[in-house]
Amino acid sequence: MSAHEILLEVKNLKVYFPVYAGVFQRKVADVKAVDGVSFTIKRGETLGLVGESGCGKTTVGRAIINVLRHVSPDVHLDGEVNYYDETGKVTNLLHLKTKDMRSYRSKIQMIFQDPFSSLNARLSVKQIVAEPMEIHHPEMSQKEIEERVYWLLEKVGLQPAHAARFPHEFSGGQRQRVGIARALATNPDLIICDEPVSALDVSVQAQVINLMEDLRDEFKMSYLFIAHDLSVVYHISQRIAVMYLGSVAEIGSSDQVYFNATHPYSKALLSALPIPDPHRTDKKRIVLEGDIPTPLNKPTGCGFRTRCPMAKPECANEVPLLDTKADGRQVACPYVQVDVSANVA
Amino acid sequence: MLESDLSNIVFNKIKLQQDKNMSEDKSINNAVVLSINQRRWRKFKTLKRGYYSLIILMSLYFLSFFLPILVNNKALVVKYNNSYYFPAFRDLLDIPLIGAVGGSSFTSGETLGQIGNASECRYRELQQQFKNSNSDNFVLMPLYPYNPFEGTDVKDGEKFMPPLSSINGSSIRLLGTDNNARDVFSRMAYGFQVSISFALFVAILEYLIGVPLGAAMGYFGGKFDLTMQRFIEIWHSLPFLFLVMILVSIFDSTFFLLVAVLTLFAWLGPAAQMRAQFLREKSRDYVAAAISIGVPTWQILIKHILPNSLVPIITFFPFAVVGGISALVSLDFLGFGLPAPTPSWGQMVSVGLEHVTDGYWWLVLVPLSAMFFTLILVTFIGEGIREAFDPKVFSRLR
Repeated sequence: MSAHEILLEVKNLKVYFPVYAGVFQRKVADVKAVDGVSFTIKRGETLGLVGESGCGKTTVGRAIINVLRHVSPDVHLDGEVNYYDETGKVTNLLHLKTKDMRSYRSKIQMIFQDPFSSLNARLSVKQIVAEPMEIHHPEMSQKEIEERVYWLLEKVGLQPAHAARFPHEFSGGQRQRVGIARALATNPDLIICDEPVSALDVSVQAQVINLMEDLRDEFKMSYLFIAHDLSVVYHISQRIAVMYLGSVAEIGSSDQVYFNATHPYSKALLSALPIPDPHRTDKKRIVLEGDIPTPLNKPTGCGFRTRCPMAKPECANEVPLLDTKADGRQVACPYVQVDVSANVA
Repeated sequence: MLESDLSNIVFNKIKLQQDKNMSEDKSINNAVVLSINQRRWRKFKTLKRGYYSLIILMSLYFLSFFLPILVNNKALVVKYNNSYYFPAFRDLLDIPLIGAVGGSSFTSGETLGQIGNASECRYRELQQQFKNSNSDNFVLMPLYPYNPFEGTDVKDGEKFMPPLSSINGSSIRLLGTDNNARDVFSRMAYGFQVSISFALFVAILEYLIGVPLGAAMGYFGGKFDLTMQRFIEIWHSLPFLFLVMILVSIFDSTFFLLVAVLTLFAWLGPAAQMRAQFLREKSRDYVAAAISIGVPTWQILIKHILPNSLVPIITFFPFAVVGGISALVSLDFLGFGLPAPTPSWGQMVSVGLEHVTDGYWWLVLVPLSAMFFTLILVTFIGEGIREAFDPKVFSRLR
């Protein structure tokens, strides 16, 4: 893997939200929403990021596009989010000032989970889709922008006639298409898809997923596809990362993770998938005991040890790092064995 | 493998369906699209009570700018020795400078042939004089020829004239006269202009201060928000009435001093509203989307969050006007309001109360009903606006 293929490299990303209490509002603890996440995204590749609710998937996405600080100004960010541009120049986006960040904004865009709150209800579709171009391409004339808006709307399966309408006049799926058009407007290299289909019903999910796949191949973009629905992630991703309690448990190719997970958490997560075949009863469901610990007060050592079926006393000692196994996958557990022969292509 | 095959089949099937759905999609009606504010305005127009109240109040307020040529003791047109004079029209310019109403234009009686009158011409007498002299000189008086200040037209030391009475065949006093023999109708009309202007000044100023401050507090948060909140709490606990009394006893009470003092306290309301709105809106996804696009902060504040935060403060505006009118009336009533000759409802009420046992009922009734009807009009407008902003078709059971 040459450096040229890498688009984004997240290194040991940490996002802590401080908790204040008492009369003087002193900091009493940190919510460790993301605690040491590392992964890379190659050009043209889709990385799926899965995990249950509250494990920090969305926070990772928002840390990459640098919006966390605006909503919670005292958030603590640590680590690196390295963006590689076409010439191979590396920039750490995490601590960039608003002004310096602006030129990278056009390269990394985001599609949001909730199509109802991610579009400003007071702006027409045309204004929404035109805004990124007005910001990043002030040299474009109104007419050029307008033409590109119509072109983008057609690309995402809407009509130019829809441009004058307001978001409330669309269905959820159509709104998500508007959100996709907005993300596409500046020709980004990477789109962070924050559960783009989980608010939609199943048939519309498929439409939107197919649309996103087509667009990815047409525009040669990469996706960081955040979702909790494993089948959707498997369908669209080349590689999958499984997150648990703010850290990555396992990263591997889609097939490796989907059919042959090794980390005890990924195994449990995948065993919970419903199989669309009533005759197959052979698959055993791994039911984890207990609840997910709060990120306010994480267990020492491995975050998963309180619920892990193969936990040992040593697991409390130190945080397991991602370890590259024989078949190329990375697993954050020193005790898993990778059976190379069982690897399904 | 089985799962992946299955899911692929399902996906492909749906893809076919998708194309079909999309073609159906395209046939959605192409009706005229209204923005949310256009729809609100349409709904407001269907709420007859609020809509007509708005029309009545707006036209009355518009008319009140022309009070000097409608209700005045100066003539509209005087023709004397083949030259024309328009004394009333020069008073029009005084209206924006409230407190100086009826002051600036001066034409002495002698220039217009009132012998021995070096002070302001008495136009009503001049009209009689010209009529009797049978020349082609004439005086055209305004519709209602009394202004709110003159109190000299009294016979036998009797100051109080009941409504609809007149002396010596001069035009009637619609609503009588007060303890200084000033015309009550005229004072009420000018008082309307003063009250509404005052309330509008205060409401607009408090919004101009409160909205940006509250917005900044809500959006930027942190230490700025914390400090401002504590400051607002302290400010809020200052006794408003005492402060006004102290200020009025130090400085000469003027229209704009009162506006400033009232605004100093009134901006807290909109600021709190806006802070809450911005705090709520800034964590919504469309703001994150705007940030991730790279929209500059001021544009996010003005273009994205502000239009989505206006509903509570727009609905609140008529009630801020109501508050301004009531505050002015109470200050005037207590004697801490506008300086003495300014026509104001509060002063009229306090005069009326002094004479309430003497049988001069109109002195209390007129300013109070004027205030009552004005406040009820504004409240109806406020109710209409609130209902127009309500997404539900009917906001109460009918």
